[in-house]
Amino acid sequence: MSEIELVSGPDAPGGELMAGVASVLGAPAAERRRSLRQLPQGLALRLYTAMARLRAFDERAVILQRQGTIGTYPPYYGEEAVQAASVLALDDRDWLFPTYRQNAVATLRGCPPESPLLLWRGNPAGWYDVHRYRTAPICVPVATNYPHAVGAAWGSRLRGESTVALAFGGDGSTSPGDFHEACNLAAVVVAPVIFLVTNNQWAISTPVQQQTKVTRLADKATAYGIPGVRVDSFDVFACYEAVAAAAARGRAGLGPTLIEAVGYRLGPHGTADEPSLYRDPERARLWAGMEPLGRAGAAMVDAGLTTLEALEEIRESAVAEMLLAGDQLEAVPVPELEEIADRVHLSTPWTLSPDHLREPSYPRAG
Amino acid sequence: MPTNPKTNRTGSRPTSRRAVARQLPHGLTAQQCREMYHKMVQIRHFEDHAAEAYAQAKVGGFLHLYIGEEAVAVGAIAAAREDDHILGHYRDHGYALARGCDVQACMAELFGRETGICHGRGGSMHLADAKRHFWGGHAIVGSHIPIGAGMAYAMQYLEEPLVVLDFFGDGATGNGIFHEGLNMAALWNLPVVFICENNLYGMGATLAEESPVSDMMIKAEGYTMPAVQCDGMDVLSVYGAVQQAAEHCRSGKGPFFVEALTYRFRGHSMADPELYRDKEEVRRWRELDPIPRFGDFLVQHRISSQQELAQVNEEAEAEMLEAVRFADASPWPDPSTAARGVYANPIDPEAAQEALTLAADPAPAAS
Ligand SMILES: Cc1ncc(C[n+]2csc(CCOP(=O)(O)OP(=O)(O)O)c2C)c(N)n1
Ligand SMILES: Cc1ncc(C[n+]2csc(CCOP(=O)(O)OP(=O)(O)O)c2C)c(N)n1
Ligand SMILES: [Mg+2]
Ligand SMILES: [Mg+2]
Repeated sequence: MSEIELVSGPDAPGGELMAGVASVLGAPAAERRRSLRQLPQGLALRLYTAMARLRAFDERAVILQRQGTIGTYPPYYGEEAVQAASVLALDDRDWLFPTYRQNAVATLRGCPPESPLLLWRGNPAGWYDVHRYRTAPICVPVATNYPHAVGAAWGSRLRGESTVALAFGGDGSTSPGDFHEACNLAAVVVAPVIFLVTNNQWAISTPVQQQTKVTRLADKATAYGIPGVRVDSFDVFACYEAVAAAAARGRAGLGPTLIEAVGYRLGPHGTADEPSLYRDPERARLWAGMEPLGRAGAAMVDAGLTTLEALEEIRESAVAEMLLAGDQLEAVPVPELEEIADRVHLSTPWTLSPDHLREPSYPRAG
Repeated sequence: MPTNPKTNRTGSRPTSRRAVARQLPHGLTAQQCREMYHKMVQIRHFEDHAAEAYAQAKVGGFLHLYIGEEAVAVGAIAAAREDDHILGHYRDHGYALARGCDVQACMAELFGRETGICHGRGGSMHLADAKRHFWGGHAIVGSHIPIGAGMAYAMQYLEEPLVVLDFFGDGATGNGIFHEGLNMAALWNLPVVFICENNLYGMGATLAEESPVSDMMIKAEGYTMPAVQCDGMDVLSVYGAVQQAAEHCRSGKGPFFVEALTYRFRGHSMADPELYRDKEEVRRWRELDPIPRFGDFLVQHRISSQQELAQVNEEAEAEMLEAVRFADASPWPDPSTAARGVYANPIDPEAAQEALTLAADPAPAAS
């Protein structure tokens, strides 16, 4: 198995891995300013605000986990650009299929932040209205959300609707068969679906080089005859353009797109993970400067779109919002045992009926 | 037309048999060519008889005929070493016979008899012969792809110079297990040749209904795996492709993907009204029948005479008639041995009986 080169190398920022990825913020200063100034009125600030809210949620969730208010939690520090850009580049009628890593995306569509937090607290009150926010429940089993998204997109096409579906995933999620079956079927039925794979180079402790022989995950698209595009995952503006283009393709009846958002997992896999056991912390520090919120903000100020003070205000109000949400959690009543399987089945099987749960009895043969 | 004076390729007919043999592609000898023809004919006659026996209800379960695709198994297996490992799908008579499995035992297996190659327990879809390194027909589409990768991993780990030939259909490439198997094989540089028999259909699904790309070899690009396409109706073309692939694997360069463009002349299985394709298409493909095509080649190159070819066909027919007689006369397996070959460490019958009794009368629930 391949040795992973540690401190610098092809998969460091500016290395071979990032070569040729679509980037707005990585362009020379004059070009970057021009691009930002050409954005539709207010878009940059809306993207910034969405990222700031995601960031504040994530930081609050980690604190709540440390305090024991919620259970395990998968932080997404560094992935805010991909998530915010996806939601904003899509129409509110379009479907989102998140994994654990995008657990708070519904909050960008009006879902109260308490919902995902309560979910991590194991409280059924955390179930948000999937139809209202057009956001499927998060999938923890890796890659299972891809076929779901294809189903939604294919259904939309069969009904003659113009909605698209977007499924999030990681580098590791490209290995299970579900990814392949989803891409294959989507391409065959020309489903308007976007596979947004964030290549953060790690699947827990497995580096992407031990995951697949392909170095550019977008190249996997060739096997399905669909376009595969690569974008800087730390660049909210480039991500926005990539998702908007893929959505337009889908709506035009041209079928699926695979987007590889390239970057690095800046934090641990989850709150019970210690990355220094399997990767050099020096390496994460190399990538730290790519952190998407500060990077976008600096470029916006530089382009004269806003001021540092205005951005600070946005961040502060996001922090206040999430603080408040966190404070609500303990007041929500602990669920009754009977609720444990609510919303799991369309009609509850007898093994989960309240009577059975209270006093289990098994039918006898004969 | 340009002529190469050295090999006389397109000039006048070569004069001696030896001169011809020197011109055979891929280093093949005349004897090897005759052998390949013989194998294809055997498979064809075997299956004609199997179909007849099926109509007479002598064969139970499913029967998937390989008729039309013989060049793929024969060319590929001839290009491998005798002890290279082979796996394939349920359309498996061709692999077995091409590897030289006993014809009578194969026929008896279809008939479900104790003398069958798997003692009548596997039937048509599950021929296997461990001592010939033929690890079977597999009925679950794609299931043997990761198994083949696993065998190749064993070869790599044990440092054995053997490669694995893993045959599957175009339909199998849509299955997630195909992806997982090829991903691991590529990542770990495993010595496995993936041989995709693209016969344009997966049961009643056309290629366009099952795959977004019509060339299966494109799928190998998703794993950065080298791939070639060959004419699956031409045994020499298949031989050349698999020879190249096996060499690549054996020299430690990792897996290789071979796509053979082929066609099954018969239905998917014996119960197939074939509503998904028209007769004209079948007729056009039948014109490419690999057996007469290769027969013509042998005659043209004076490797065999028409009479010799006719004799091969007659002998194969007699051999298969005898195989059917053998199968018919063979005993059925003893039902009390039904579990034989299921477990590596057979279950103690008393313990099994106890478990069955328990299942019939579950213990009262704890309260
Ligand atoms: C089918 C399945 N296998 C294994 C796991 C355990 N697991 C949880 S997250 C994860 C890594 C996924 O990595 P990646 O797709 O790169 O996403 P990331 O966590 O980096 O966002 C694994 C293996 C799982 N949840 N589901
Ligand atoms: C996992 C699985 N799904 C479905 C089937 C039913 N089935 C049997 S053969 C077949 C078609 C496979 O087509 P292909 O791989 O092209 O092989 P061919 O029969 O054309 O040789 C299907 C769908 C199965 N056996 N296993
Ligand atoms: Mg990852
Ligand atoms: Mg097929």
